[in-house]
Amino acid sequence: MTKDIMLDIRGQICPACLLITLREIANNKFSLKRGQSRLVVKTDHRDATRTIPGAAVSMGYETRTEKTDGYYEITIEYRK
Amino acid sequence: MCSIFFIVSSQLLAGLALGAILQRSDFCMAGAFRDIFLFGDYLKARAIFLAVSLLVLIVYLERVGGLIGSYPPSFFASPSGADLLGGALFGMGMVLGGGCMLGTLYKMGSGKVLNLFTFAGMIAGGIFYPVFLPLKLKLVSATGFFPRWTALEQIAGMHATAAGFLLISALFIARWAGKGLLSQKGYAEGYLQLWKAALAIVLVVSAQYVFSGRPLSVTSGIFKMSALMAHAATPAAFASVQPFTGNSVRLVYGRIMPERLMNAFDAVGITQFPLIAGIVGGSFLSALQLREFKPLGVPPFGQIISSISGGALMSVGALMASGCNLWHFFGGLPVFALQSILFLFGIIPGSYAGSLIIKKAVCR
Repeated sequence: MTKDIMLDIRGQICPACLLITLREIANNKFSLKRGQSRLVVKTDHRDATRTIPGAAVSMGYETRTEKTDGYYEITIEYRK
Repeated sequence: MCSIFFIVSSQLLAGLALGAILQRSDFCMAGAFRDIFLFGDYLKARAIFLAVSLLVLIVYLERVGGLIGSYPPSFFASPSGADLLGGALFGMGMVLGGGCMLGTLYKMGSGKVLNLFTFAGMIAGGIFYPVFLPLKLKLVSATGFFPRWTALEQIAGMHATAAGFLLISALFIARWAGKGLLSQKGYAEGYLQLWKAALAIVLVVSAQYVFSGRPLSVTSGIFKMSALMAHAATPAAFASVQPFTGNSVRLVYGRIMPERLMNAFDAVGITQFPLIAGIVGGSFLSALQLREFKPLGVPPFGQIISSISGGALMSVGALMASGCNLWHFFGGLPVFALQSILFLFGIIPGSYAGSLIIKKAVCR
């Protein structure tokens, strides 16, 4: 079963959004790469919906972005 | 000569348009420099280069066509070390503050609480205008050079300089466009690609230049807010402070109008206050329409300190360099003003230092 690691960075602005997400990916890279977990980022910073998926995809992850109640949820999981 | 109603409405409309464009695209000059140093991401920098290149072309055509008259550029002085220092302070400030002066206004309008603190820092920095102005004048006097020159185009001529720059920039832009390097997929609702935003911003800025007769700016408006707030808080302390009480005149929209820092309805007040209100309002309306205007509670203390100090540094930097990045990038660089070129050279190390500080603070 895949565990969701929640990262709520609402209220944060760039570059903190991307830096914090990259740190979280690095901290959980083993469980992410084994498919044991996926990272769910909550952000209200519009630019983060461009920068976070861009960076994650270049690191071999796949992403899905959805708008929920005025903010965005970016799900990052390892590409199978 | 335009009516006051026309001046105020035209500035307000320009601000509303800019605010909405900036909110939809997240066009960010602070991010353009910071993202290069932190992530090796040049997307925003390319968009700014595109905007400046298009402005070089349009402002050149406007000058040749007689729509705006200014050769050599009369809004800029001969260069000095103050422009370089101002650029460095401004560059560091905009990275720490999470946005340049323009960026702070639209992000604040879209509900970003941290940028409200950056704005407070900008106002606080502006209060020290009387302290830093004499220092700036001393620095200008000690480090000024090329006293007869204000723009690079005075060396090779207006036509050759514009043609040379446009030829080189066209090669870069065509190469980036061919490789798809001017756009990146954005998942935000109503996202406006940065290169499209650059085109829209250029249209607003160049049209406004023709109407008002001078490049867009918000810096003097910010300083005026600082002066008015400082005077309202402690009238006795600021009543006789020279830079706050000095008088001059400014030509706007074909009218010669008085300019006095303590007067809210002078040439600066009736142009820059509506522009500032428009930028904040345009961004607010755009965020509201997207159902994204949701200011959250108090941000972390460290980020508040970073935002306030960034805002204050930007104000001091803008004072030293006689303008913020809106003035220099979209007003000065298109006419190759030497002050603006030095400001750009200062911004590079300043934003690099700011990026290192931010990275260290966030990754602790």
